[in-house]
Amino acid sequence: MADPNQSAPEGRDPHSGGPALSRRSFLKGAGGVAAAGGALSAQAQAQSAEAATAVQTMRGTVEVTLQINGQARTLRCEPRTTLLSALRDRLEPALTGAKQVCDIGSCGACTVIIDGKPAYSCLTLAVQCRGKEVTTVEGLGSPEAMSDVQEAFCAKDGMMCGFCTPGFVVATHAALDRNPEADLEELKYELSGNICRCGTYPHVFDAARAAQAARHDGGEGK
Amino acid sequence: MSQPRIPAAEPSWGKRADLDVLNRDIPRIDGPDKVTGRAVYTHDVRIPGMLYAALLRHPVPRALVESIDVSAAEALPGVVHVLQVKEAGDELRYSGDDSVLAVVSAETPEAARDGVRAIVVKAENLEPVVDTERAKEADAPLVNYRRRADSNVAGSRARGDEEKVKGAIDASAKSVEVSVEIPTQHHVCLETHGHVIHPKGEGERSVVYASTQMVSQHGGQLVRPLGLENGQGDKVHVLTPHMGGGFGSKFGAGVEGMLCARIARETGRPVHLMLSRADEFAMGGNRSGSKQTLKLAGDADGKFTAIHVVAERHGGQGGGAFAGAPYQYEVPEVYLDAKSVKTAADSNRAMRAPGHPQASFGMETAVDMLAYETGVDPLTIRKRNLAAKMQRRQLDRVAAEIGWDEHPNKLAPGVPENGIGVGIGFGVCRWTPGGRRARCNVTVRPDGSVVSATATQDLGTGARTYVAAIVAEELGLEVGQVTARIGDSDLPPNVASGGSVTTGSSAPAIKDAAHNAREALEALLEDVLGAEVGDYVWKAGRVHAVGDPERSLAWKEVCALLRQPLEVSGQFQQSLYEGRILGAQAAKVEVDTMTGRVKVLKMVAIQDQGLPLNRMALRSQINGGMIQALSYGLLEQRVFDKEDGFLLSDNLQLYKIAGAQEMPEMVSIIDDSEERDSVCGMAEAPIIPGQSAIANAIYNACGVRMTRMPFTPDNVLTAIHGSV
Ligand code: FES
Ligand code: FES
Repeated sequence: MADPNQSAPEGRDPHSGGPALSRRSFLKGAGGVAAAGGALSAQAQAQSAEAATAVQTMRGTVEVTLQINGQARTLRCEPRTTLLSALRDRLEPALTGAKQVCDIGSCGACTVIIDGKPAYSCLTLAVQCRGKEVTTVEGLGSPEAMSDVQEAFCAKDGMMCGFCTPGFVVATHAALDRNPEADLEELKYELSGNICRCGTYPHVFDAARAAQAARHDGGEGK
Repeated sequence: MSQPRIPAAEPSWGKRADLDVLNRDIPRIDGPDKVTGRAVYTHDVRIPGMLYAALLRHPVPRALVESIDVSAAEALPGVVHVLQVKEAGDELRYSGDDSVLAVVSAETPEAARDGVRAIVVKAENLEPVVDTERAKEADAPLVNYRRRADSNVAGSRARGDEEKVKGAIDASAKSVEVSVEIPTQHHVCLETHGHVIHPKGEGERSVVYASTQMVSQHGGQLVRPLGLENGQGDKVHVLTPHMGGGFGSKFGAGVEGMLCARIARETGRPVHLMLSRADEFAMGGNRSGSKQTLKLAGDADGKFTAIHVVAERHGGQGGGAFAGAPYQYEVPEVYLDAKSVKTAADSNRAMRAPGHPQASFGMETAVDMLAYETGVDPLTIRKRNLAAKMQRRQLDRVAAEIGWDEHPNKLAPGVPENGIGVGIGFGVCRWTPGGRRARCNVTVRPDGSVVSATATQDLGTGARTYVAAIVAEELGLEVGQVTARIGDSDLPPNVASGGSVTTGSSAPAIKDAAHNAREALEALLEDVLGAEVGDYVWKAGRVHAVGDPERSLAWKEVCALLRQPLEVSGQFQQSLYEGRILGAQAAKVEVDTMTGRVKVLKMVAIQDQGLPLNRMALRSQINGGMIQALSYGLLEQRVFDKEDGFLLSDNLQLYKIAGAQEMPEMVSIIDDSEERDSVCGMAEAPIIPGQSAIANAIYNACGVRMTRMPFTPDNVLTAIHGSV
């Protein structure tokens, strides 16, 4: 395992909210290969050179405390560990509601809410989430006490295999919070960052509409 | 196991009007777990000390391995085990599972991937042979690895008298000829293939979490890699609590399962080996592509006289699937020549209605062309050539629902206004869902709790829900009062889920077990309520003798009569199953002839089956079938780089599947016209005709015949202008 003493990037205040990662340092950290310099414009080269001197590479593991579903949870991860992997693979006990399906931001199965906005947790580094409120599908409700949206997904059969479902549930919550009056076309737009292979979309739309209607009738949702 | 009495009557599904639970909308019993993230899939299994494994695949199909150096990987912090799968001198023969060079297992997923990157491979890449046209050439390298094979063309089989059929076509009033091309499609299960294997999970047993369509049969293959002897299958305990889709791709442990088992044995630690998305595209299976040339002839009224079909199946290393000709329609004279063209792409696997969407696309295209050629509208020509009255009625129903009566373009395609045309198209489907031996146990405890248990798996179909619901119906309970146990190889054996056999096999066995439980309880009631076995009514949580509703017992009171848990078993009963289903679909599209964009406005499906166990889950599945067909028709195709053999479409950005924005208005109709007293599955049928109906609708909208899927803007513009 990596050196556990190396809990913070060298020379940086570990409590400063994390380094501002540039694409270049990110690639370095992830062990990738930076694009050939010739392809970059002079300006971009200058910028990345500046970023490279301003930012130090993080290595080893770091301790991060994240606000997840209203609780402070501390875990050790690498600077390059995604929020998705932190939730699923580093937390004890793990939160596996958010699913890893594509790991590159094209399916929405890993959607969580960060400071009120839906985000792909596979495209977010865990260390970037220090000081932010993260809500996962588990934080929205439990089988014993489901949120209005979760209830509606059950009532309208907005799921089949269910692997995409946590992502859709979180995205639907975010959509209805952001745009309570969304019509069907707007809902489709709001949910277009999530995919479902089983083909549950029509029933997902029904569920979203039902939850929306219930909020209108009975005040705010959970 | 005590079985107190010989059953007095045969189980039966009963009259639909009498049903309280089945044939209604039943919310899935695992819904609350799925919508809250509580449901644990194989991907989600976490065991203390678990290793994460990652695969190294060679990126092109064919190569000679010169050397593989894993030493740097082994030296990396966090890396625990490196399994070298291929050696220097090995020949890599095709893309997919033969490309797996090594597996790195580590304490974290990141370290496993670092290990993969640290392996140094030297190999001489060979001509890839991923293109079927190239594979057919005489000088193409042989990638048909069957013993004694001397050509990449295999399995050629002709049926029918070609001269006679050609003669019949020439003698017919009208005929059409068309060549169609259907790409390879991927299953794209959102949960990739894989396992978590705990080698010493329970005493001497290995616990295998598997995303599998055959929990009862899955363990057998893992016996040897786990270091056990044949016949020690009972030492492997397979669990599939939930699974994220299968669609036919998840039969058997696969290379990844064997490797996972081996690593678990060698390290003595639990191993999590799930394919990455790129691995999944490369080795998780596919629906074979196809090329077909069809000649269809008919008389002046559009009654078909003869068909001549030459078809290729493109299954990579597999044989490919093609459902034959004539597909669905009645044609008296038939010639069919079907063969398989092998390439060095990975093998096709079963995929929801294997071979049928391909056959449907060719046939429905030819049928549609002959309609316009003959001057008989596309709805009428279909009804004229279908044998089953039910299917003719179904076509009328979808036509009415999609607005065919008011639609202007019946005998000729429309002329786009400002470049935009709107059209309607049709297609039909048929399936024969199986029913095979399966078993189920029902346990009733003195405290009133009920468990229904069978080793089936819920691929997303809602199987878990009917495992409980069928028992609830029989005993007059609510669904929530019955616990369903599935996804565990220790439970009574059940079938592998393929060809829509699950419901036709499981539901009769569950019904039989429930029936046996009811009769055993009725035997206890003889002394209390006075009636003989078979003369009771179980409803709303109570039981009374027929004709004597005044004297009744509550469910808990009945169970209190038990001195020990009542355990009964049931098995598949032929009398409760019948497998033949028909359906029809229609699509309405808008085509922008300036941009080539096709927007599906509406899709309608009608589908019959036996007794609908759960109407809401059925509508979900019918929707799902239409959506997968829409996605195949508009978006999906596997793309290899022909020169080097890289799989270019190995992620969800380049291999796009339909999303919310592509969704048309959808109408799923359950055909209740024949109240069959039987049950069967139905998932395959509704995926068959959608892409055919959409292509026909495109023609109807603007007169452009799409012979090549998918109907992307560039393919549509190419069809209009000959090039983009
Ligand atoms: S896993 Fe994050 S978007 Fe697909
Ligand atoms: S329910 Fe299976 S992928 Fe959406």
